[in-house]
Amino acid sequence: MSDLVIRGAHVLDPAAGLDGKMDVRVSEGRIAEAGDNLRGTRELDAGGLHLFPGFVDVHAHWRTPGREDEETIESGSAAAAAGGFTSVVMMPNTDPVVDRPVIVEGLVRRVERESRVRSYVSAALHAGLRGERLTEMRLLKEAGAFCVSDDGLGTASAAVLRNGMLYARSAGLPVILHCEDHTLSTGVVHDGAAAALAGVPGIPASAEDVATATALVLAAETGARVHITHVSTALSAAFVGFFRDRGDITADTTPHHLTLTDELVGTLEGMYRVNPPLRPDGDRRGVREALVDRTLDFVATDHAPHAAEEKELPLEEAAPGFLGHETAFAALYTELVRRGKLSLPRLVEAMSCAPGAWINGTGTISVGAPADLALVDLAGEWTVSGETLRSRSGNSPYLGRRLTGRVVGTVVGGDLVHDEIGARFGVRA
Amino acid sequence: MLTLEDTSREELREVMDLAAACQSGGLDQLLGGKTVCLAFFESSTRTSASFELAARRAGADVVSLGEKDSSISKGESLVDTIVTLDSLGADAIVLRHPAAGAARLAARHTSAAVINAGDGCGQHPTQALLDLYALGGALGGFEELAGRRVAVVGDVLHSRVARSVIPAFRTAGMEVALVAPATLLPLECGAWRVPVLASVDEALDWGAEVLYALRLQKERMAGGSPRIPSVAEYAAYCGVSRRHLDSGALLMHPGPVNRGVEVSGDVVLDGRSLIPAQVAAGIAVRTAVLALATGAVHEVAA
Repeated sequence: MSDLVIRGAHVLDPAAGLDGKMDVRVSEGRIAEAGDNLRGTRELDAGGLHLFPGFVDVHAHWRTPGREDEETIESGSAAAAAGGFTSVVMMPNTDPVVDRPVIVEGLVRRVERESRVRSYVSAALHAGLRGERLTEMRLLKEAGAFCVSDDGLGTASAAVLRNGMLYARSAGLPVILHCEDHTLSTGVVHDGAAAALAGVPGIPASAEDVATATALVLAAETGARVHITHVSTALSAAFVGFFRDRGDITADTTPHHLTLTDELVGTLEGMYRVNPPLRPDGDRRGVREALVDRTLDFVATDHAPHAAEEKELPLEEAAPGFLGHETAFAALYTELVRRGKLSLPRLVEAMSCAPGAWINGTGTISVGAPADLALVDLAGEWTVSGETLRSRSGNSPYLGRRLTGRVVGTVVGGDLVHDEIGARFGVRA
Repeated sequence: MLTLEDTSREELREVMDLAAACQSGGLDQLLGGKTVCLAFFESSTRTSASFELAARRAGADVVSLGEKDSSISKGESLVDTIVTLDSLGADAIVLRHPAAGAARLAARHTSAAVINAGDGCGQHPTQALLDLYALGGALGGFEELAGRRVAVVGDVLHSRVARSVIPAFRTAGMEVALVAPATLLPLECGAWRVPVLASVDEALDWGAEVLYALRLQKERMAGGSPRIPSVAEYAAYCGVSRRHLDSGALLMHPGPVNRGVEVSGDVVLDGRSLIPAQVAAGIAVRTAVLALATGAVHEVAA
C-alpha cells in the first residue's frame, strides 16, 4: 500500500473548515488525514502552493459524438484537468443528441477509456431536444446517465417542462435547465446599448428571465431536483433567490458572465458571441453579488469549444460559446478575488465544495472523501494562449490576457492527472 | 349508486351476496316490471352490453339511448335527457358521461335510481364491485380479501376505475399501493394516503398479491403534454409480465387491454389472470346493483 503525502501546502477547504499550512495524506484514492508532519511512502513538496478540493464543473460540451474535431472526451478531460477540474458533467446537445440508452452506454465506455477526470453523462430531457416527447429517463439512468438536461435549447412548452420534471423526479434524476424563451431570443447579443450602437440584433434579458421564472415555478410545484445553469441576469438571480427554499433548487453562473460584459460587442468579433449573451455591468454585478451571498450556489464553465471557422466570423454568423475549463479559476481569481469582490474561500466553495456536494460527494478534503485535489500557485502569472490550451479548440474570450493564479497539479482519486511542475512531483520514495 | 367512496363494508358484502345469488340462478325475473334506461353519453362496449344483458335477463324493460341515433347525439343536455327518462317512468338510469360528477348532477333531477356507469375521470363503481366479486371468487370469498395487498398500476391520474377500486379495495380491508411515474399520478397523490412505488417489481417486494393494471392510452406519449417516453420504458417498469405472475401474484385489468403495454401479451389469459373472470362477473354484479338500487330485492323478499 502506498500513501502519498502532499507536504506543506496551504490547504483551503471551507467545507471541511481547513485553512492553513498542513500536510495531507492520501491513501487508496481517498483523503486519509490532514495534519502536521505526516509520513507516507511517497511525498510531494507543495510548499508555497495552495491545495483546494478539485474543481467541479456541471456544465461542459465535449462535442462527442459528432464534432470530435472540436473536442473529445480525451481532450476535454485534459483541458479540465489542466484547469484543476476533477469532475465534469457533459451536456447532451451533441450530434446525435444523447437521448437513447445506447448512446449513454457508449459514452460511459469511452469515459472509462479516455477521461482523465470523473466525467458524467447528462442525457436529454426530451427526445432530440425537440421539446415534444420525454426521453426514457429510467432506462437512461440504468445506462449510466447522471442527470437530464435541455441544455443548448431549453424547453419551449411549460407543459412538457413540467412533465419532464415530474418524470425525472420519478426516475431519480436531477434536471439541469437552460432557461431561454426562443420566441424572445431571436437576436445575437444582449439587447442593450452596445447592441444598439453596433447594429447587431439583440436578445432581451427577458428571454432568460421569463424562462427562468417558468422553470422555478414548475420546480417548486413538482418537487423535482432542478439546477438552473448559466444564470446571467440580475433579475434571474433574484428569482432564484425567491424560489430556492421553495423547492430542491440550485443554480450556477459562469466565469465569463462574472468577468466580462457586453462592451465586447463593440468589437463585432464572432469570438464574443455566447448564449446567454454577455450582459451589461449591472447584470454582471448582480450575478456576482448573488454568487457572493450564495443565492447562486456555484460556478460552472459552460465550456463550449468551437472550430476556428465557426468563430472567425461576424457576430451574427458565429457559433455561440466559449472555452471555459482552463481559464475558470485564474479568470475569477484575477478579476474577482484579487480585486476584493469575492473571497478566496467563497471562490473555492463555489468551484469545489458546493458543486461537488451537488454532484458526487467530492469537493472536500475531509477524511474519507475521494482524493480529488487542485494544487494552485496563486502568485503564478500566465498569458492565455491558443498554443498552450489543451482543448482542441481555441475560442477562449481571454486569449492574450495576463491572468494570475496557475493550476500546477490536479489529482483525481489519488492519481496525478495534470502535472506542470514535474520536478516537484518527482516524488521522494 | 354514484360512488363507492362512502360505501361500508356491510354494503359491499350485501352486493357480493346478492350477486352470488343472481349468478346461481335462484332469483328469476328479479327486475320484472322495472324500467331500466341506459344513457351513454360516451362510447362503451362492455359496460353497456353488460348492463343491458343484466337488465334484460332479470326481466326489466330496457330503454337504450346510445351515442348514435338518439337525443344525446342531437345535443340534448344531460339534465334534459334525465328529465325525459324520468318522465318515461324509469326506475333506474344507468349513466355513462365524459365529465366527473355527471351522475351526481343527474341524481338531483330524477326520482329514479341513478347508477354511475363511469363519469369522466371520476368514478366507475360497478367496475370496482365486479372486481371485488371476481377477486373474492379467486381467493375464496369476500372475507378473504381482508389484509391482502393490491398494487394499482398505471395511469391513475386519468382513471375513473382507480378512483373506485382504491376505496373499494380498502373498504374490503385490503392494503393498496400505487405504481406509476409522477406524470401519471395526481400532483397530490398523497390524498389517498397509500404508498407510491416505482415499479411492478417494487410492488412485489412490498408484498403485492394482486396487480391491478390500468389501461394506458397511447396518446399520453405525445401531444402537448407528453407523460411517458415510450412503450418500451413503460412496459419495463409498469408492465405486468410473466415473471411477476410466476412469483405468485394475481393479475387484474378493467379492459380493454393494450397487450404488450400494461400487460405483456402472453399473460392476459394466464391461469393467474382474473381478466376473464372480471368480465364474467359483470352481469351478476350489475343485476345485483340494479336490484338493490330499484328496491326490487326488498319487494321480492316481501
